[in-house]
Amino acid sequence: MSRRWQSVLLDFGIGLYGAVLLYRIVWVHMVQDGEAPPVTPPELGFYAVAGLIVVGLGLYLRCTLGAWIRWRQELKQWQRICALHWGLTLLVLTIWAGWVITKVSPLDLLSAEGLRSAGRLFGALLSPEFSILDKALAAMVQTIYIALMATLFGLPPAVVLGFLAARNIMRGHPLTFAFYAFLRVLINFTRSVEPLIWAVVFSVWVGIGPFAGMLAMTVHTVAALTKLYSEQVESIDSGLVEAVESTGAHPVQVVWFGVVPQVVLPFLAFTIYRWDTNVRMATVIGVVGGGGIGTLLMQYQGLARWHEVGLIVLVIAAVVWIMDYLSARLREAIA
Amino acid sequence: MTFLELQNVRKIFPNGVVALQDVSLRVERGEFLAIIGLSGSGKSTLLRCINRLIEPSSGRILFEGVDVTHIRGEQLRQYRRRIGMIFQQFNIIERRTVLENVLVGALGRVSIWRSLVGAFPMEVVEEALHNLEIVGLADKATERVRMLSGGQKQRVAIARALMQRPEALLADEPVASLDPATSHSVMRYLEEINRQLGVTVICSLHFLSLVRRYARRVVALRAGSIVFEGAPAEITEEWFRYIYGDEAQEVEIR
Repeated sequence: MSRRWQSVLLDFGIGLYGAVLLYRIVWVHMVQDGEAPPVTPPELGFYAVAGLIVVGLGLYLRCTLGAWIRWRQELKQWQRICALHWGLTLLVLTIWAGWVITKVSPLDLLSAEGLRSAGRLFGALLSPEFSILDKALAAMVQTIYIALMATLFGLPPAVVLGFLAARNIMRGHPLTFAFYAFLRVLINFTRSVEPLIWAVVFSVWVGIGPFAGMLAMTVHTVAALTKLYSEQVESIDSGLVEAVESTGAHPVQVVWFGVVPQVVLPFLAFTIYRWDTNVRMATVIGVVGGGGIGTLLMQYQGLARWHEVGLIVLVIAAVVWIMDYLSARLREAIA
Repeated sequence: MTFLELQNVRKIFPNGVVALQDVSLRVERGEFLAIIGLSGSGKSTLLRCINRLIEPSSGRILFEGVDVTHIRGEQLRQYRRRIGMIFQQFNIIERRTVLENVLVGALGRVSIWRSLVGAFPMEVVEEALHNLEIVGLADKATERVRMLSGGQKQRVAIARALMQRPEALLADEPVASLDPATSHSVMRYLEEINRQLGVTVICSLHFLSLVRRYARRVVALRAGSIVFEGAPAEITEEWFRYIYGDEAQEVEIR
């Protein structure tokens, strides 16, 4: 897209966004203090007109952000200052809108009753109930194994897909390139669906429990590792590949001797990092029924037994810290 | 029959860069041919067209009278096996041993599964050790490549190329990242391979002094065209300025 269209589109967007904020948040919400009415066609027209006005300002007076990205150095001093003020106004309006939309309320945060309850809860968390330590540790072991199995099951498909999703490997032939493009879309989609949602899907499929949690994380691990692996494959030095090709080696041998030696260690490092990430993720997935320590946490939280919850949080923190440390050390050692 | 012949070879890259225009060249068996020219004059492209790492846009390449311009697949691999290549950046596997790297040169004649599990036939391994002897690295076979010096790495690459029992050896600026003394050592190995094993050597070089010392014939490229062809001694001051531009000054490497 040309610089000109970018700038026009930006100005239109700014005008539209500013108009929406001004009308919906400032006028309806703050001044009239009412619930937002449904959107009407005239209202949409008003937004569009506002967008067009800003575009016009940008084109004729050159005093908008769009004009600034289009003309940069050519602008006069006052035009640049004006453009800057557009930015500042939008920033202030956005924060204001965000404040209203997320219902930020310092009164609730600092109310005496709220503070007392929070104090009680923190007190309970800080005096953990050690009698359930064995139960918590057993659940933690389950969580660690869920993470480990998800990593191990995700590894082989990710290695294969990592090569198939690398542009430099697949660009040789239109057919392989089409497959590469398809794979990229699939992987990006899978990755953009949070493991939490995969856990919901699989708990419907195989029933609530550790197995569902493990499957959810396997899917996400495959997608995440494929992405990391393929980027590594794409960044290799093509010189070695060329050298192996020039010996008359078969394409399979070219990959094995020209590509693999360059990616083995980075792959290993990514995998360790993934296991570490998966342990943290498995804790969260347990909360929606994926088994392990997360599920235990949910049970005690439901019963409002905060001393037990305190202990579980303690165990999670300790294990995450240890995993973090170990994985960093391991990755350092092989780098 | 001419050993290698290029007829009106042109290469235009997808981004529109014309790397070679209308290059015609004959190379006889057993020659030591140097290719000179500025960076970007097309030396690397020319070498890569010869062993078909690059496919020319038009023109023909004949190897022993056989047209190899557009061959593919198994035919192309068979052809590449007959031509070894070494590179400025050595392009060897840093984390593997010297021997493992030399064995890569034999991939073309070892079955895929054998090479994948690293079970190279005994006679191939022996040949690799023999080739290491030729380049004076017999005692380094089990060492990791990353412990070696630049000159030694290039000799590993030469031994790897020898594993192909090549009829020709392409060398793409083989000494450009080496110091002067090491440069001569590597060039002398190329000379020896050329004289004693009868391998045709086609070598791109930066330094004219090296060209005069080792090559018997020179081809000069300028902006993708051959502008000079002859004996090294024929490159006069005038030719030098034409090939490298008016600003250039000759630097000697001893």
